[in-house]
Formats: sequence, C-alpha cells, structure tokens
Amino acid sequence: MSPVRVISAVGGRVLRLALLLATVAVASFVLMVNSPVDPVSAYVGADVAVIGPEQRALIAERWGLDDPPLERFGAWLGNLLQGDLGHSLTFNQPVTEVIAQRFLTSLALMSAAWLLSGLIGFALGVLAGVQRGRAADRVVTWWAYTLASAPTFWVGLLLLYVFSVWLGWTPVCCAVPVGVTADEVGLLDRIHHLLLPAVTLSIVGVAPVVLHTRHAVVEALESDYVAFARAQGESTAGVVLHRVLRNAAAPALLLQFSSWGELFGGSVLAEQVFSYPGLGAATTAAALGQDVPLLLGIALFTTVFVFVGNAIGDLVHAQVDPRIRRVGASWRSRGRATAEEVA
Amino acid sequence: MKKRMMNGARWAALAAAAALVVAGCGTSTPAPAGGAPDELRLAIGGESEEGYDPTLGWGRYGSPLFHSTLLARDADLNIVPDLATDYSVSDDGLVWTVDIRTDARFTDGTPVTARDVAYTFTTAARSGGLTDVTALREAVVVDDDTVELRLTAPQSTFVNRLVTLGIVPEHAHGPDYARNPIGSGPFRLVQWDPGQQLIVERNDDYYGPAPAFRRVVFLFTGEDATMAAATAGRVDVAAVPSSLATATVPGMRLVAVPSVDNRGISFPTVPDTGRTDAEGRPIGNDVTSDLAIRQAVNWAVDRQALVDGVLEGYGSPATGPVDGLPWYEPASAIPGNDPARAAAILDAAGWVDSDGDGVRERNGVRAAFTLLYRAEDSLRQALALAVADMVRPVGIEITPSGVSWDVVTARLHADAVVFGWGSHDPTEMYNLYSSRQAGIELWNPGYYSNPTVDAHLDAAMAATDPEVANRHWRAAQADENGVGFGPAGDAAWAWLVNLQHTYYVDECLDIGRPQIEPHGHGWPITAGITGWRWTC
Repeated sequence: MSPVRVISAVGGRVLRLALLLATVAVASFVLMVNSPVDPVSAYVGADVAVIGPEQRALIAERWGLDDPPLERFGAWLGNLLQGDLGHSLTFNQPVTEVIAQRFLTSLALMSAAWLLSGLIGFALGVLAGVQRGRAADRVVTWWAYTLASAPTFWVGLLLLYVFSVWLGWTPVCCAVPVGVTADEVGLLDRIHHLLLPAVTLSIVGVAPVVLHTRHAVVEALESDYVAFARAQGESTAGVVLHRVLRNAAAPALLLQFSSWGELFGGSVLAEQVFSYPGLGAATTAAALGQDVPLLLGIALFTTVFVFVGNAIGDLVHAQVDPRIRRVGASWRSRGRATAEEVA
Repeated sequence: MKKRMMNGARWAALAAAAALVVAGCGTSTPAPAGGAPDELRLAIGGESEEGYDPTLGWGRYGSPLFHSTLLARDADLNIVPDLATDYSVSDDGLVWTVDIRTDARFTDGTPVTARDVAYTFTTAARSGGLTDVTALREAVVVDDDTVELRLTAPQSTFVNRLVTLGIVPEHAHGPDYARNPIGSGPFRLVQWDPGQQLIVERNDDYYGPAPAFRRVVFLFTGEDATMAAATAGRVDVAAVPSSLATATVPGMRLVAVPSVDNRGISFPTVPDTGRTDAEGRPIGNDVTSDLAIRQAVNWAVDRQALVDGVLEGYGSPATGPVDGLPWYEPASAIPGNDPARAAAILDAAGWVDSDGDGVRERNGVRAAFTLLYRAEDSLRQALALAVADMVRPVGIEITPSGVSWDVVTARLHADAVVFGWGSHDPTEMYNLYSSRQAGIELWNPGYYSNPTVDAHLDAAMAATDPEVANRHWRAAQADENGVGFGPAGDAAWAWLVNLQHTYYVDECLDIGRPQIEPHGHGWPITAGITGWRWTC
C-alpha cells in the first residue's frame, strides 16, 4: 500500500471516530438530561423522609445541577478538551480515575472471556463444519443455539451454584479473596476469581463464532479448490489444515473483534452476578444514580473501545483475506472490492 | 483435550465444562468463614459508594464504624451518651450545649476536641450530602471539651444529628477523606475494594467497650451471591430478602428483626375542587376525602392476613408509621379485620349501594378509587391487590394500578398511593402529617390538615426535653380526646404492614437484641456490633 493511501485511510478513520464521539456525546447528554430520573432524588433514595428542600438545594449546588443544561454541556465539553472528564457523582471521584480503575479489572475479565470464546468457538465451529450433518455437528449446533438464547445472568447463577456452592471450587464473589489485603493477593488468586465470570461472559460470544465458522468451513469444503485437492489425494486432515482453516478464520476473527461491544454489554450482567467490580458494575451504578459525567465518560470510552475493536478486526481480516486488502482495510468497502474485481 | 474433542464427537458438548473442571482443580480453595476466630464476615450490603465521610451522610443508618457520635441509641432506641458526656438545650430550644469526653483519640493519635465537633457540624451543614443539618446556624467552641450548637429554629429532632453524625478530625478532613476516613470509633479502615469488600480492624485505642473481633469484613454482594455465600458457608451474617429466607442454610439460623420498614396507603384527604399545586399537579379526591371511607378501609383490612399471605409471615400488622418506637401511641391503633364495623361506618355516613352493583354510592359519587403502586415493586403490588379484595365485600371498589414512579409523583395528591416509610427520626412523622409539609417532596401527599394534630406536632418539634417531645408525638397520633391522625381518629393513612428484616446468622454468633430497624435492610443491624460475641 502506498504511503498516501495509508495516511488517507488512517485520517479517514480518525475523522470518523471524531464525528462518532461528537454524536455519541451529544446524543447521550440529550438522553440523560431528558431522563425522568432526577439525580438528586436517586441519590436521596430512601432518605427522602428526612432530607428537606434546603438540603436538596445543597446537593444540587454541590453537583452543579443548577445551571441550564446547555451551559453544563458547554462546561463539560470545555473540560473534556483539556482532558478532564469531570467528577463522578456516584463515586465522589474523578471520572478518569473511576474508569481507569474499573477498566483494568474489566480488561482482565473481558480479554479472558474473549480468548475463551474465540478459541472454543473456532475449534467447535471447525469440528461442526467438517462433521456436517453428523452427530458431532448436531450436538455442537444445538449447543450453540442453546447458548445463544441463554441469558448471561442465568448462566452465571447456574455456574455460581454448581462450582462455588456445591463443589466449592471457585469463590462466590469478587475479584480478590475475601478479607485479604491487597499486598497479600497473588496472581493465582486473581485468576481463580476471574475464572467463573470469564467463562460466563465467554458464553455470550461463543455461539456466533461457532455458527459463522461452521458455515465458512462448509463453504470452503464445497469449493472447487478443495475438490481439486481431494482429487490429488489429500486427506481430510490435510484439506482442513491447509485449505480450510485460513478461509474459515477470516469471518471468525472479524466477528471476534467486532464483538467488543457485546462483550462490554455482557460484562455488565456477569459482573453483577459475581460482584466483580469492573466497568460494567460502574455503568449500572452510574445509570441508577443518573450520574451524567460518569455515564458520558463511559459512553465515550466504550465508543473508542468498540471502534478500535472494529478497526483491528478490519485490519486483521484484511491480512487473512487478501481479497479485502485491495481497497484499504475497510469492511464496508468489501462490496466495492468485489465490484472492482468483476469490472 | 483438544485431541479428544476432535476424535470423540460425542464429548464435544461437554468440552467447556471439562475445561472448567480441569482449571478448577488446579487452584486452592479459600478458607471457610470463621476460619479465624477473631474475624467476622458479613454480607449485609450497605456499601457507601461515595466513601465514608460522615459530613456527606455516612453512618446515618446506625454505627459509622470508624467514627464516634456524640450520642447513641440503645437497643430500645433511648438516647444514651457516647462521645458526649452530657448535653443540655436552652429554654428557647435554640442552643444545644454539649460536653464531650476528654479521653477520646482519633486513630492518628490526636485527641478529639470541641473544635473537631464544631468543624464536623459546620461542614455537614454546608455540604450537599445525605445528612440534613440545615437547621444549624453555627457551631461555637466554648472550651476544649464544650461546644455550642446554635440552631435557626427550635428542633427537638436535631438530637438525631447528634446520634448519627460521626465526628471527623478537622486537621485530616481533606478531599481524599472519604476514601481514607480517620475517626475515633470502634474500628479503623484497613482496605476498601469498591464494589467488593470493606476490611476493618478493631481500634485498640477506642474509649468504649472493645469489640470481640479483631477484624471484620463486609462483603458487597448482590442478593444471589449473598445467598450463595451463605449456603457455601463463607459468611457469618447474610442479609437476604424474606422471599429467599425459606431455605435452610447449614450452620446458620434465620433471624427476623422487627422494623418500622412499613407499607401503607396514603389518602388524599381533601375533595377535588380543581385545585393544583405549584407544579400544576391535581389535588384532591372526592371519595378518599370522606372520613368514613378512610376509616372503613382501615377497619376492613385484615393486616395479619397480609403478613401471612404477602410477607410469608416475616412482618407484623402496622397501625401507624412509628409502631414500637419510643414515640408510638398504642391507643391510636385499631384491631382491623372487622368488615361489619366498616359497613356500619359507611351506612352511618350515607354510603349505600342503591343500584345493586356491589359498590356503594352517595350523592351520585361511587365509593371507588384508584390505588397506585410502583409497578416494579412486587411486594407493593401484592399488598394493593390484597387490599382491593378485602374492601370489596364492604362495598368499596379499589382499582390497583401499577405505574412508574413518575406517575406516582404526578398523581400523589389526587390518588391513593402505596408508600413505604420507616425512620428512627420522628421528623418523618412530622413531614407526613403536618399541614405545613403538604405537597412538599413526597411528604403529606394527601394534604392532610388538622389544627389539633398540627399543634401537637409543632409542640413536639419545639420541645426542649425528649420526654415532652415524645408526649406530643404520641398525642399527634391520638390524644386524650381521641383526636389524632391515627386510624382511630382521622385515619389519614391506612398503614398495612411492618416488614421483618431477615438475616442468616452463624449458629455460634450472638448478635444480642437488635434495635427495631428503620427502612433500610442490612446495615442497621450493625448498630450493636461492638457487643457481638462468639458463643461456641
């Protein structure tokens, strides 16, 4: 690819991200300002009986809720441009600190779940594709459909009861051992606490990978080049290894990278079940408390996160599938690529 | 394993489970709860997400753990000294003079002085947190161990600020304080993992009785994980909703703590004349504004049946908003469950079913009204439906309607609503029944007004002696002439049930006699934590 093309491709993406962020910020703010939930009422909660109007005014003043919405958005935007995301109402802490702390915890969870779902999903998808129509295929497909329709929350509870309560192998909660101070927590402890939430979360992503991989494998196995290879006497194992895997990997990879959004959504539920203090749990708390600065911060952060996931997906996909590479690494340009090829 | 997956097709479906088993075996199992005899593990919720700063409201439900308060409430909710050795209120009720003990130290070693007390109250009065100290005009240090709290108006309930506001050190109260609290209470903070746990250790310099536990861990698990932790034997105390309290947990006993966490029906007590409040919300209801209707509902409802049927037995019939508290008036109660009496009251008031549709009328008005409840609250829904069934035989038609909280706040002056209240602070009672508070916040939603009741409420608020205050609080519910807001008088509300808060507690843990708990389920049980002991 020529340098000009690279620059224009990168520049295009950055511009698109900037536009996307602006849209997300404005849309989120408008939604939140018009939300029927009053942040002060949400904060006061059950103390409504003894918190009077004067005290409510003090709360609103502390949070700067007295200013008109446009002014608040302007102030927020001004601070944002200086790198200040504001102060979280719920956690009484700078938004950047909240996100940084929570995201580190979430990152471990999400990457473990992501790897698990990718590897297991791809392996099972290949197995099902190769064994198409036979018992293994039916079992895997059935399993994938079951997982696709099983609510994360419910799966989490099931695993919690089986492995933490009945078998006692895994902890019942949290990212660290109960009652142990930070300096005594080892890596093994953290992995031990990560296990169940990660497995629960991986279940969100595994079904689509299985089914798409299976389809890609089936398609590849029916192609002329596989028929040709077989005619030359190549074994099934050889065909799968040399002719099918790379073709099947492309959709699986693209899917995996574009699933970062769903991964984040699933983590909200998984973290809730296991009292795992990641970004998902913070999002729930922020939403319930109508914590506008934190919600905006999380919205922007996840936008970047998902955008980067998609971008990497496109790049990797292009690496794996040379047909994509000709017009830059954009998934959306795939249709044009085919058109050019035809022309 | 991969090989097995590729070859043994039938095992494919179990692959993920197998992976789990293999991985699970490789790691160690943590020690069960109670492994260390001087450590206690509690899953009772109550995390303060914004930290542990009393001037922002931390500690308002009982023990602030890290801080000591000027006064405290004993198991019967009577006021007892704590950091304060004595206090007095001036005759005009405006100046509270508090003497504090001289042997109290913060955990950083500095002594607690009157300056810290004054600073704490002044800061709390100005900060927008969850403790309302707006009645304070100024806090003045008289000498090292005496402070004067000067109020803008007499307020007998200000004593609750002395009970709940933990004293913070002036010299260490900075922006990071909420995450690193320093106080003079029975425990000090060791580590807080937000969203997970709070680890505290005994403060050996504490001036009060030393807790029996060197270390206490609070787990901030959700309902399901709490239940799982209790079942797996990982916690010593677990707060669970009563709907989950039916299980038998090995090694634990179920403790049901009485509370004033109540549910009741507010009635609009004024007729609909087209009046609206400042925000344009309609006021008044032509049916519930009739005393006979409100009394009939109160007499017709079988509260014990609600306790047994809706609360699975974990509760008690409610007769008022403050059942069992020191300012409760038993004479205001009625036994209820007497449809014949309800019918007689309606007959006498001229409500008769002339068209034979099962619902009474008077002057063309049907004895029918809507009862709103928050749709997502299944308990309130069950209560609303059950009450509608109970009043139908006496000729009153209640239409329960599950709505969003927005609709409740828009309609609360015009429709009956199922509310939940319950506080250790009689301010709540004042707010629910004083005509001054009609239409403010969610208070006195039905615009109830009775000059005699108002006079008692105002006298209670202005009293300088707690006993005098309690006498007036009681008289507001029912005075010697039978006048009052209670069901025997104006029946401004129909109180239904008080919940019991359910906890699984280790069979070997003695938690003493808990206080009657307020609206919050969980943290209030820690009020007596310094007296908890292992018994085996």
